Amino acid sequence: MSGNYVLEMENIDKSFNRVPVLKQASLCLEEGEIHALLGENGAGKSTLMNILGGIFPADKGTIKVNGKQVEMIDPRTSQQLGISFIHQELNVVADLKVYENMFLGRERRNRLGLLKVEEMCRKTSEVLAGLGVEIDPKAYVRQLDASYKQLIEIAKALLQDSKIIIMDEPTTALTEHEVHRLFTLMKNLKAANVSIIYISHKLKEIQEICDRYTVLRDGKIVGSGRVADQNVTAITKMMVGKSVSEERFVHNHAAGRKMLHVTGLTSAGRFRDINFTLHAGEILGFTGLAGDGRTELFESIFGFNKTSSGSIEVEGRSVPINHPKQALQAGIGFVPKDRKENAIIKDLSVYHNMSISALSHFERMGFLQPNQEKSRFHHFKEALNIKVHDPKVTIDKLSGGNQQKVVLAKWLEVDTPILVFDNPTQGIDIGAKREIYQLIVQLAEQGKAIIILSSEVPEILKVCHTIHVMYQGEITAKLKRDQANEDEIMKYATGSKREVEHIG
Amino acid sequence: MASPAIKQESTQPPDKNRHLSWLWSEYSVIIAFVVIFVLASLLNPRFLDVNNQLNILMQVSIIGIVALGMTIVMLSGGIDLSVGSVLALVGVVSILSLNATGSILLAILTAFSVGAFAGLLNGLMVAKGRIASFIATLGMMAGARSIALYIADGGSISGEVTSFTAIANSELWIIDYPIIIFLVMTSLVYVLMQKTRFGRYVYAIGSNEKAALLSTIRVDRVKIGVYSLAGLLVSVAAIIETSRLNSISSSSSGQAYELDAIAAVIIGGTRMTGGRGKVLGTFFGVLILGILNNMMNLMNVSPHLQGFVKGLIIIVAVVFQKRE
Repeated sequence: MSGNYVLEMENIDKSFNRVPVLKQASLCLEEGEIHALLGENGAGKSTLMNILGGIFPADKGTIKVNGKQVEMIDPRTSQQLGISFIHQELNVVADLKVYENMFLGRERRNRLGLLKVEEMCRKTSEVLAGLGVEIDPKAYVRQLDASYKQLIEIAKALLQDSKIIIMDEPTTALTEHEVHRLFTLMKNLKAANVSIIYISHKLKEIQEICDRYTVLRDGKIVGSGRVADQNVTAITKMMVGKSVSEERFVHNHAAGRKMLHVTGLTSAGRFRDINFTLHAGEILGFTGLAGDGRTELFESIFGFNKTSSGSIEVEGRSVPINHPKQALQAGIGFVPKDRKENAIIKDLSVYHNMSISALSHFERMGFLQPNQEKSRFHHFKEALNIKVHDPKVTIDKLSGGNQQKVVLAKWLEVDTPILVFDNPTQGIDIGAKREIYQLIVQLAEQGKAIIILSSEVPEILKVCHTIHVMYQGEITAKLKRDQANEDEIMKYATGSKREVEHIG
Repeated sequence: MASPAIKQESTQPPDKNRHLSWLWSEYSVIIAFVVIFVLASLLNPRFLDVNNQLNILMQVSIIGIVALGMTIVMLSGGIDLSVGSVLALVGVVSILSLNATGSILLAILTAFSVGAFAGLLNGLMVAKGRIASFIATLGMMAGARSIALYIADGGSISGEVTSFTAIANSELWIIDYPIIIFLVMTSLVYVLMQKTRFGRYVYAIGSNEKAALLSTIRVDRVKIGVYSLAGLLVSVAAIIETSRLNSISSSSSGQAYELDAIAAVIIGGTRMTGGRGKVLGTFFGVLILGILNNMMNLMNVSPHLQGFVKGLIIIVAVVFQKRE
């Protein structure tokens, strides 16, 4: 078995902002195998694959392709070594034609430098026919369904004669029929000695298609072997680890009065018929896989997106929310995910990021009072243990955890009775994570009504009283904390099981 | 929790070198101004003459006021190409109003409403119509100039109320009114941008519009305010321009002012994409442009070559800012 590896990644280390993401991670790939790379969100799968794809370099460690050590300087190097990366978010250019996408960056030209359009179209048709689909090579990608866009990406990899293909959750956007077609295709590729690294959360698929597996947890390899030798439970346990269920931050609560009541909320293409109730002092979790619509749902409740129908009641009063400001006035606060894009204003100082949503608290006669901002910030600095030497620096100079705490301080300053946290511990280290969980629980004990959105099930289990699972825009389960476990939640999140049970 | 603490340590400027680079990044335009000022005074002894100094200030006051508005727009992440045309339109309409009513006050009010209205339209197009500011204001640039030409029949209009000229041609002690107006406007805009909620919102929107919206800022309203304010400042500049010669040309007044204003803002260190920059930077940017023009006139450089030097300075300024 050994010596036959097309790819060996050994002892890879990687940190972002001094937060270690990968610790001594290793991965070996045999020729002509389908290898499952497993782990929870944030375990480091994507980071490992991005290193292989040349998106960013490893801090330490070696990569060997066909036994030869290589340096992954950029994506191009990786491609030249025969590695293709099919990303979860599709990298096709919607405004180009199918064949133009297929040959993007390596167009065929004649001696005059003009494009050989017909040849490229012919080749495109050939490859696509091999995949069992007929698409006009001259059709615009914009007009195609998501699943076809996926096929174009795969076709692109085939076109480049890739020997190693990385597929990052390729089936999330596909229908069952298309998944089967993809699997047949993968088996054909395997027979042609192409190796595939397959990233997925859907363990059923893994059992069906994969030969071997590697499990990552918190940046470390915790297991690897043949899929046939293991059952699903054992693999799940490896992914989740033991530490999860040990530590629960939240205690039993006496549910307070009804704070937020959502009925029949629908937005075409995003989510359908959402109903739930949130009480004071309650922590409500929403979880699911990518594309489940939970972020879109709460962006709508917060007035960032438009909803087409349904109603939102805050403390028994129906409120129209078309702008985040109206949500704030109704009493809803929202800590968005993707801190860098949505939450921090990187050119403003730490002080100013804290005060931006509540400037009326710091105004006298229309003029801002910097001293009040300062003293208020120092209050939060103590309360939230924010580590910053000089709060006059712009916020992007802080580490992820401290940035997030400043964002939390911003919303604590606004002091809304309802707080929504979307992925509140994204990209921050374990210490800061704990502090944020504790803070959230503390807020609930003070009587705030809290919603947490997270794709990390253990996180949800740690802090929530009630857990809602979403699948493709619908709530598929409402579980009390005591009834919920990771397996159960996964079944609802992947759509393999569903119930509509109303609680509360 | 050790790692973030370490990171904090490293962001402190530990040595002199970092201190210098901080000084440079914060005040590069002032340093550049001092260098150019000293250079100019060495090259030509007449440069330091008080009358020449006041002359420079007088010449930059109109562009300076326009550039203040441009600074606000660019800090919000936009651009306003319509300032020159709107200036001509405001001038033409306010002279008409002056001649028709004989009232200077009414003429000024007319100017303010025309400028602010043009700005409001820009703001509505950008904020509500979601048109890129470059395109929206390009349209306004063509439209406003055309209306000015139509009203004035392509020529100039002169004022018939002679006391109107007093606005731009009077002095307080030895300082001309336009200089005073420019300085007052600079301080007002400075206070607005640094000390009020509006200013903070403009920086936030220019830095990260989505995060600003999710921080519950009324992004649309702030943007409309930004462009209206820029229009209002153009009105102030238009009143001075018109009053100075007691006439306005529908075809040539305000021509290429947008370029000078943008140049001053860029030299002043404001980032093209918004969110970062200072009103004071623009003030010195305007002065640098003024000194360069003045020097070239004193040294008899052909006016045809002056644009070349200006272009060079803009590019050099941006190259230096990229360094940080």
